Amino acid sequence: MTGITSSTALWYASRATGVVTLLLLTAVVVLGILVNRQGRLPGLPAFAVTGLHRNISLLAVAFLAIHVVTAIADPYVTIGLAAAVLPFASAYKPLWLGLGAISLDLVAALILTSLARARMSRRAWRAIHWLGYAAWPLAVVHSIGSSADARNGLVLGVLVACVLATAAAVAWRLAHAAREVPRAGRAAAALSRVSARKAGL
Amino acid sequence: MTDSLTLPPPALAAGGPPRGLPRLLPDAGTVPVDLRAHLAMHGPLRAPGGRDGLLREVAAAGLTGRGGAAFPVARKLAAAAEARPAPVVAGNGAEGEPASGKDRSLLWIAPHLVLDGLQLAAGAAGSRSTVLYVPRNERLHGRLAGAIAERAAAGMDAARVELVTAPDRFLAGEESALVSRLAGGPALPAYRPVRGLPRLAPGRAALVQNVETLAHLALIARYGAAWFRAAGTGAEPGTMLATLHLADGRTSVVEVPLGAGLAGLLGLDARPGPAEAGAAAPGVPSAFGPVQAVLVGGYHGAWLPAAEAAALPLANAALRPLGAMVGAGVLAALPADRCGLAETARVARYLALESAGQCGPCFNGLPRIAAAMEHLAGPRPDPRARADLERWTGLVTGRGACHHPDGSVRFIRSALRVFAAEARVHEQGRCGGTDPRPFLPVPAGAPATDEDWS
Repeated sequence: MTGITSSTALWYASRATGVVTLLLLTAVVVLGILVNRQGRLPGLPAFAVTGLHRNISLLAVAFLAIHVVTAIADPYVTIGLAAAVLPFASAYKPLWLGLGAISLDLVAALILTSLARARMSRRAWRAIHWLGYAAWPLAVVHSIGSSADARNGLVLGVLVACVLATAAAVAWRLAHAAREVPRAGRAAAALSRVSARKAGL
Repeated sequence: MTDSLTLPPPALAAGGPPRGLPRLLPDAGTVPVDLRAHLAMHGPLRAPGGRDGLLREVAAAGLTGRGGAAFPVARKLAAAAEARPAPVVAGNGAEGEPASGKDRSLLWIAPHLVLDGLQLAAGAAGSRSTVLYVPRNERLHGRLAGAIAERAAAGMDAARVELVTAPDRFLAGEESALVSRLAGGPALPAYRPVRGLPRLAPGRAALVQNVETLAHLALIARYGAAWFRAAGTGAEPGTMLATLHLADGRTSVVEVPLGAGLAGLLGLDARPGPAEAGAAAPGVPSAFGPVQAVLVGGYHGAWLPAAEAAALPLANAALRPLGAMVGAGVLAALPADRCGLAETARVARYLALESAGQCGPCFNGLPRIAAAMEHLAGPRPDPRARADLERWTGLVTGRGACHHPDGSVRFIRSALRVFAAEARVHEQGRCGGTDPRPFLPVPAGAPATDEDWS
């Protein structure tokens, strides 16, 4: 490890974008849970969380694309285009790359159905969107399995932080499901929340 | 708006109604037309040329939906004629818009025209099952049940008519909400199919037409497309019912040809004199008092400055480029002594609370926007409030299953434009409104439980 050479640049790029993609996917899952339960972030209107969820998803997809393309282009190991999208078709680490391929396919399905959301039934969109919960753990296991440096040091720290953040969001969601505002009263509840905040200022 | 049922005949200012009008509501204005009088006036219902003949005639007439969306009726009827099994045909008289009273007036005064149209639509769709969807109002319900029974006794209808009650919600008449109600659920809007008719259940489509549209259908079947086109403009033919809110506080339902000048309808002086210049609020004189702005198209419509409105016709071709639209024909002339921001804030609050609570951007965004609008209408608002409103309204547009966020935002954004000078006056701690009484009607009682939607 004496420095980045032209042959190692792709390897580094693939690793780095992999880590960033995992961070972004974690943010997408956490924000998705917030959107689903009408949660809020400090300083942001509740409905802006939806926009953040959507925009970070698209950013994650951009990094994911670079991650996959650099991994394929990297001459260090031979990963074909087919192995990137077909689960367990890779000769190199078939299980760990296969999990990554499934995760990639799920993310692609999520993005394509979300772009076509106006043209499809709400129920089908929702059903496919639930698969988002499967894409994330697959990506985590893919990260641990396919990269040796994810087992210690800084990258391990990032992984643990991602898992903790998602676990906290899931726990918060389960706790919130119990005390959901009935549909008919949601607008009134939101209005009194806004008014109360204003009076408090 | 049941009070519009007992109002004196429509107050038309300049020139009075054009020749050949009214078509739907008889001259007497408020006396219900029973079956005998209806048949004496219009003769028995005929459908010349059968189903194809009616479809051709409606296409030639260029009739569009009078519920607000102005969708071509011929296209909907053609889709219904092709649907298998035959769709359920629904006459939509829910009229959730509090500022509109025309559907209720029509159902009360001329129910047989609507019921004729319902039979024609059922005939075109090959359906023997129809529904009349009407507001919860005992008198109206009784009268319609009587009219349906009268026709059944005379054996004149091929399709059965069922009366279904609409809840008193702004969105109860939204097409998908109506369909959900017919399917036995609450009147909640839903994501609609990308194309084609809405569905009650898998494989069971519904043809939904506004009740006024059905009444026009009954007249087109009798008198033909050329007669229908004798009123209105080439692109937007025929007449429509409009609910007028005049500057003196009176409301009335009138039948007007499309393309009629807003100035004539609201009694506005089309040529504001230079003498008026210099007044703090540039009002336009009208036969019913000075007017500062006109709300066109109801609570999902848009405000226009009175001077601009006075030069415009009631036609989408002229209104749409300005962000307004004919809609269901609600026109309100805001008097010069009211605060436009306060009026808008009251309606914005109502619209926010009428969210069905299904889509986050709607039930989170509209209350926040309404609260900011209230803040703007108050004394010394934060100068950043207007920029916040612009930003937030952009965030909710196009983000609901139905068009409630889009329509509400169109209304609020138009207020930010038209009452921009008033907003600056508020920032200085003053208010241009000297009369604090509410002008636009806003019903009390926001929904609280699911029962309020069924």
